[in-house]
Amino acid sequence: MTTLHGDIPGAHGSHGGHDHHDGGYLDRKGGMVSTIIDWATTIDHKKIGVMYLVAVLTMFFIGGIAAMLIRYELFQPVRIQTVGEMAGKATGTDLATLFGQKDMSVAQADNIYNRVMTLHGAVMVFMFIVPGIPASLGNFLLPLMLGAKDVAFPRLNLASWYVYVFGSIFGILAIVMGGVDTGWTFYTPYSSSHADPGHWRVVFMILAAFILGFSSIFTGLNFIVTVHKLRAPGLGWFDLPLFVWAMYSTSIIQVLATPVIGITLLLLVFERLFHVGIFDPALGGDPVLFQHFFWFYSHPVVYVMILPGMGIISECIAVHSRKQIFGYKAIAFSSLSIAAISFLVWGHHLFTSEGELAATIFSALTFLVAIPTAVKVFNWIGTLYKGSIQINTPMLYTLFFLFTFSIGGLTGLPLGALATDLHLHDSYFVVAHFHYVMMGGTVIAFLAGIHHWWPKMFGRMYNERWSMFACVLVFIGFNLTFFTQFFLGTRGMPRRYASYPDEFQTLHQISSIGAAILLIGFLVHLAVLVGSLFAGKKAPANPWGGLTFEWEADSPPTTHNFHHEPIAKHGPYAFDDVVPPHCDPKDYPLADPLPPGTKAH
Amino acid sequence: MNPMSTTLADGFWHWLWFGSPAKSSSAVARIGDELFMYIFWLSVAWFVFLMGLTFYFVVKYQRRPGKKLTRSPAHHTALEIAWTVVPTLFLVYIFFKGFWGYADAIVAPANAEVINLKAQKWAWRMTYPNGAESPESMRFVYTDSQGNQVTSAQEAPIFVVPAGKPVQLRMSSMDVIHSFWVPDFRSKFDIFPNRYTSYWFQADEPGDHVVYCAEYCGDLHSEMYAIIRVLPEPEYRAKINSWAIPWGDGLAAVGKVLYTTKGCSACHSVDGSRNTGPTWKGIWGKEHEMEGGGKAVVDPNYIRESILVPGAKIVKGYPNQMVSYQGQLNDRELDALIAYIESLGDNPPAPGAGYGESAESN
Repeated sequence: MTTLHGDIPGAHGSHGGHDHHDGGYLDRKGGMVSTIIDWATTIDHKKIGVMYLVAVLTMFFIGGIAAMLIRYELFQPVRIQTVGEMAGKATGTDLATLFGQKDMSVAQADNIYNRVMTLHGAVMVFMFIVPGIPASLGNFLLPLMLGAKDVAFPRLNLASWYVYVFGSIFGILAIVMGGVDTGWTFYTPYSSSHADPGHWRVVFMILAAFILGFSSIFTGLNFIVTVHKLRAPGLGWFDLPLFVWAMYSTSIIQVLATPVIGITLLLLVFERLFHVGIFDPALGGDPVLFQHFFWFYSHPVVYVMILPGMGIISECIAVHSRKQIFGYKAIAFSSLSIAAISFLVWGHHLFTSEGELAATIFSALTFLVAIPTAVKVFNWIGTLYKGSIQINTPMLYTLFFLFTFSIGGLTGLPLGALATDLHLHDSYFVVAHFHYVMMGGTVIAFLAGIHHWWPKMFGRMYNERWSMFACVLVFIGFNLTFFTQFFLGTRGMPRRYASYPDEFQTLHQISSIGAAILLIGFLVHLAVLVGSLFAGKKAPANPWGGLTFEWEADSPPTTHNFHHEPIAKHGPYAFDDVVPPHCDPKDYPLADPLPPGTKAH
Repeated sequence: MNPMSTTLADGFWHWLWFGSPAKSSSAVARIGDELFMYIFWLSVAWFVFLMGLTFYFVVKYQRRPGKKLTRSPAHHTALEIAWTVVPTLFLVYIFFKGFWGYADAIVAPANAEVINLKAQKWAWRMTYPNGAESPESMRFVYTDSQGNQVTSAQEAPIFVVPAGKPVQLRMSSMDVIHSFWVPDFRSKFDIFPNRYTSYWFQADEPGDHVVYCAEYCGDLHSEMYAIIRVLPEPEYRAKINSWAIPWGDGLAAVGKVLYTTKGCSACHSVDGSRNTGPTWKGIWGKEHEMEGGGKAVVDPNYIRESILVPGAKIVKGYPNQMVSYQGQLNDRELDALIAYIESLGDNPPAPGAGYGESAESN
């Protein structure tokens, strides 16, 4: 262990702006108005984390409604009646009917579906899953795990939240103005010259993604500096919790990749507004150039989405198995190598549009990124070996993650292999695959994390039975919804279709029923968590027996996080030898002491 | 064919994933299916092993109150190297299999029949080597839950191709990016507005295969179907020859071919029988009553207007149903159709004669 700069000015305790209040950070200081002002101007990373949590979950809710509308429309296909008085009338345009639009042409009805499909993708990607874990749990936990009082740049942190909200308002404005039908990928020349010509809403949606990028950069920059400069005394790089390693790797990608999408989206706006020919061949541009630029950002960002989830899983599996992570360094370095390789695989999104040489190289590199990911899964399962495993909601979600994320990873293989991808590209197989990774991976890990740290964040315990019940509902709903879509894809169902031939209907209906179960599961979770705030038992400081710094703080932590500056005296997962802080040794028996002269692993 | 491949690309599990066997040449689609099934079984083995192990650990190492922790190694170098190297070997194998199959699927044989394919929002058009285009189209017909007959929303053009012969499509787009996907052939490729891309297949058995647009392209993306109809080669030749435009045989002869290939025959008869639209037989030079009052004489300008702006004048008793052919027909083709309608009149002009004195336009 190395001792590092515990006394750098500003690192611990000299953020002059704080009022020195030593109660819980959630304590109200006055009436409604002053509380709102207090939150709106806070530079406390915990409050900003909670504000982000509320914001991204709101966006998850909006994106989720769009997903339900998609599944509603796809319950039956669009058809034209041929006999009787209604001949020529479109049926099965359920979404349009839901919006009160009767007797629309198929083109008009499909157009509504295309807008909802774009809304789902854009909201979920740009406003929920990219900022999701880092900005909410990351903001809350990173300084706590480092033993710091705040992030390195607290004001920048608050600014990032406002930038996020500002960007999201642009996105919502685009939706309110009638929505956008470009798909979240904004492929040119459709997005630049064909979609809603002359309408500002497309520009607004593009600008929303552009602005949201800055909030990512702010957060990423903040985290990198925080990890480098604000570690508590004694906390060396290899004593960092793996969640911190994941955040660190994520931040590097965010800072390096986000400017590329920023420039690309600005070019797109220039082409749309001023007809500067960059991507549209009619103006002298090249549409494939856009795809390269777009995926040069958007593929690394896939790892911005999943790495934080992997970090959560590492924490949960260690704490709830009371076992040191198997192959700590392998997991830490796999995060970094995933971050590095992630910049070299964007071309696998273009297997059906780029040249043969490029496709071959990108296919090989894609398989390369599978290796560190597989290593992580093996290490997690290895951690369970000879553990002391407690099944509760966060652990159930962790096992759920291992199940769905493994499927997500394995179904990436036929997409990375060129011969099979030619068939599966842009089919429902891809849709199922990335939902298994993004939802079965990131969202499930997010839920594990929320339940793992909820007592710490809000000082309340939730009802364990009900939340485990909700977890089972989510598991059933999720797999029904998305496993069917693998078969739809291999059997020939293209993605982004509002209708389909009859042979696909049964699988689509099973998928839609699964989505309804999924929705119910989420609503039960919401009720249980919100209920815990009002009726939950008061949470102890360390309900699970964790050893990382955040469990030394109170639940909820005080404004300044710790009563005394914490000092790292043991590794983050030394369960065998250390009684967890605030815990009764009787509840957490240790291993037999090592014989003198031997070293712990 | 080796024994492994015959088991992997057939049978229940193959049916479960693909529904039907690959309908393209064995060299291309079969490699993809075999690789897919290989990956599938490999994945099943890994997944069952990993989940089995997880389940076993979770049950065996459940927390029991008061029980001391058991020490175990924090890492194991040999094990970690093994579980890095072994998957890598499998991945290398999958990569090469994928590459070989891809090479076969991408590079068309030199003796392929080259057909041009144009994609636009939201239709497909094929131009055959002799310049002909397919006039045939169809809708999928279904029975809905109430027992009514319903159809898909758009006409899907029917493209004929020869059986047992490699076919290469030279593809380009008129507007945005599209993608040509035939699930039965297990391959797709994107179509761009500023370059040609290639797609090839060889279907050995006669039969129909559905084409989907696989790259999102706007409103009717979901309805952008086409049918590939595989015919024995002689039938294929006969078909495309019958659709070829005989420019050397005079305008009326060209018009006669366009009458079928451009879809006029769907609504207008040439034998006097009533259809969705008025028959062309004997209408030249006659005066007709129009919907909403007024009369019009069938002359070149009337016909031109009726083709390009069909709703402008509707013959009494007929529905306003025709779509505009603006942009679908060039001036030469309009001339040809007008000459053909004139030739169906009561006093057809001698071949090669001009329009004669056109009647006064109303």
